[in-house]
Amino acid sequence: MDFLSNAVVLSRMQFALTAIFHMIWPVLTTGMAIYLIVIEGMWLKTRNKDYYLHARFWSKLYVLNFGIGVASGIPMEFQFGTNWAPFSEATGDFFGSILGFEASMAFMLEAGFLGIMLFGWERVPPIMHYIATIMVAFGANLSIFWILSANSWLQTPAGGAFIEGKFVVSDYFQAIFNPFMVNSILHMFFATLETSLFMIGGISAWYILNKRHSQFFALSFKIVLAIAIAVTPLQLYIGHLSGEQVYHYQPTKLAAMEAQWETIPAGESPSWSMVAIPNDKAEQNDWEVSIPGLLSYILEIKPKLSEPVQGLKDYAPEDRPHLIGLIYYAFRLMIAIGVFLAALMAFTTLQWLRGKLSTENITQQRWLLRIWLLSAPLGYIAIESGWIVRCVGRQPWTVYGEVRTVDAASNLPPGDILTSLTGFAITYTILAIAVIYFGSRIIRKGPNLNLPIPGEQLQSELDTTPAEFLPDSRPVEAQQ
Amino acid sequence: MEPLQNFLPQVWFVILALFLFLYVMLDGFDLGVGILSLTASTEERRGILMTSLSNVWDANETWLVLMGGALFGAFPLAYSTILQALYIPIMIMLFGLIFRAVAFEFREHSNRKLIWNLAFGIGSLLAAVGQGFALGGVLKGIAVDQSGHFVGSNLDWFNWQSILVTLTLIQGYVLIGSTYLINKTEGKLQEIHYSTAKLAAFTTLIGAVLITITTPIFYISARERLFSAPLVYLFALIPLLGILLIALLIRSLDQRQEKRSFLWTILLFLLTFLGLGLIVFPYIIPTQITIYQAAAAPSSLVFMIVFIGFLIPIMLAYNIYQYIVFRGKVAGEYYGGE
Repeated sequence: MDFLSNAVVLSRMQFALTAIFHMIWPVLTTGMAIYLIVIEGMWLKTRNKDYYLHARFWSKLYVLNFGIGVASGIPMEFQFGTNWAPFSEATGDFFGSILGFEASMAFMLEAGFLGIMLFGWERVPPIMHYIATIMVAFGANLSIFWILSANSWLQTPAGGAFIEGKFVVSDYFQAIFNPFMVNSILHMFFATLETSLFMIGGISAWYILNKRHSQFFALSFKIVLAIAIAVTPLQLYIGHLSGEQVYHYQPTKLAAMEAQWETIPAGESPSWSMVAIPNDKAEQNDWEVSIPGLLSYILEIKPKLSEPVQGLKDYAPEDRPHLIGLIYYAFRLMIAIGVFLAALMAFTTLQWLRGKLSTENITQQRWLLRIWLLSAPLGYIAIESGWIVRCVGRQPWTVYGEVRTVDAASNLPPGDILTSLTGFAITYTILAIAVIYFGSRIIRKGPNLNLPIPGEQLQSELDTTPAEFLPDSRPVEAQQ
Repeated sequence: MEPLQNFLPQVWFVILALFLFLYVMLDGFDLGVGILSLTASTEERRGILMTSLSNVWDANETWLVLMGGALFGAFPLAYSTILQALYIPIMIMLFGLIFRAVAFEFREHSNRKLIWNLAFGIGSLLAAVGQGFALGGVLKGIAVDQSGHFVGSNLDWFNWQSILVTLTLIQGYVLIGSTYLINKTEGKLQEIHYSTAKLAAFTTLIGAVLITITTPIFYISARERLFSAPLVYLFALIPLLGILLIALLIRSLDQRQEKRSFLWTILLFLLTFLGLGLIVFPYIIPTQITIYQAAAAPSSLVFMIVFIGFLIPIMLAYNIYQYIVFRGKVAGEYYGGE
């Protein structure tokens, strides 16, 4: 158990834990926010109260998610200083200012309008409320822009040089728009959107399966499906582009993603390893199943490699990533989920075109709905896998090729880190359990279909529906 | 070039002070309300206390995130050295903030409200304790080598002065939290907060006096600066103004003036802040590293002024708008049962 007395390892474990946990929450705050814009816009346009009720229902899950995102996000920022002081000092001129921009442009905007979006329905005119919703979504998605720009800069540092161990910026534009930046932002943007869509779709499917408000939730199911038609294939393509960039810019990461020990020269048409047991010590894969000729298609959609694929053995052990098995399988898991979700979208769309999703038929699509329900968490798994590939694969570097992780960590007493790490592990476990518990409680309780519509109080007074909504009572549906 | 190289760090020192002041003021009443909730005897009162914050706590906390990011970008050396030196108080604050942040939503949905009431109250208290020790640690000075890297021990921040600072900060938060609640509540509940505010005004005063008396000891290297003209006049003025403000505050509490009591408290915070700022300036890692040594390159500082500077009025505008939208008292009847 030497690692318990190693400040670098402990700080890495703490960063990994807090980052993996934190990453779960911004997914809905960014992705679902776009869905909320869509339904609120539909409400303003059609004045169909179902859209309004959808906005109210989903924002309950949104805010549950939001609080934990804020709570778990603050430790992320402060850890750069506490646990990675040498890194912060070396890169602060650029990296720190980007975090400052993120806070002032994105985070503050989101926070400044969230109160109005959640509690302001009765206090501001509908159009002002809609602006608040848009600002929240815009702020959240602007966070993706800045955070992914900063992270991409760690992958492909640009726009300056390290002089005496300190990064001196010569061109901010180049540093912000570093080589990985555009693709990474798009990949993350569509990842949060796609995950949110399948989360909303999965929950909607659960209601339809249980014959609760089937018609109401068929609406959200179809809205997310319609958006997914565009998003899922696009995401596969952007993912492919991201992979191609790794091939060009980060040879050690690509080698780890493919568990490729020997170098493959350009012009070859190598096989793609599908399943393997990578062995770090023996520097080989103990067992492997591969598909001939596929690798060059995966990397650049061409029959032959245009550049060599460097093997891990080309690099000294201290210059290449470890945990090859983790990187290798995380990458495959992400791709598998991306392809699966696109296929699910395609099949569901087909059923839609065949009229199987109409009000009368949708409840009979039990298998399809079950698959949607089970697919709800898949996007999260893909996102976490992608980040593992991105950041574990970047090792041993914190700034690729420039700053080593071992040199980036603060010289803290290991006991202090171990204590905070344990604290985070316990706290985050409690939070995860609590959010699943309360989240499923909100879902089981269902939407409140008797909320007064803003600006239409008189009508709702004439409404004869009972004041108390009883979750499982069928008559409520009949009243719709 | 020389004046510019001094000017830019000074501008950033002021911007950071502004962010920190906004944070201390806004999250100050947030945390103060949280600490006060520990004394609430009924579920209804706790409900009103939490509801008074539900739409603003998140934006208030964001000033801390903004301050952190801006410090990171403008003074990377200070960001890394100070946070590393204050590892334990920062972690205490972070855990406190986590628990109080999640308590808002979890309490709403929970049947066992006690757990989340405690998470909210104790979380707020922990955050204040962490901040108090961090402030005390910075005022006491952080041990660094020639290049500004931390060379002290992990418990340097813990001493009697920092305990005093922490206790006073908690009192200050309770004071501003009480005066905020005076503006948000009515009737019997409001009366409770008039009396907590008055009590906190006295305890804050005692703490402030003790700190003022002992501060030159905290800060030996600044002693000469503080006691020479023209700064000495300014420093003589601050305690006098402080006493005047406390007197005005107590009078406004006695006369049941809602808005004025809050205003005097804010001015009191501002005055304290100015005093601390004058003590610390031009150091950013007391007692050795100045803002000029710790600053990022001038191009970075300019770039950040362009991006963040012009957003400051916009950020202030929509934050104020949010306060206007949710102005007025928290209505009790919504929070009776659940």
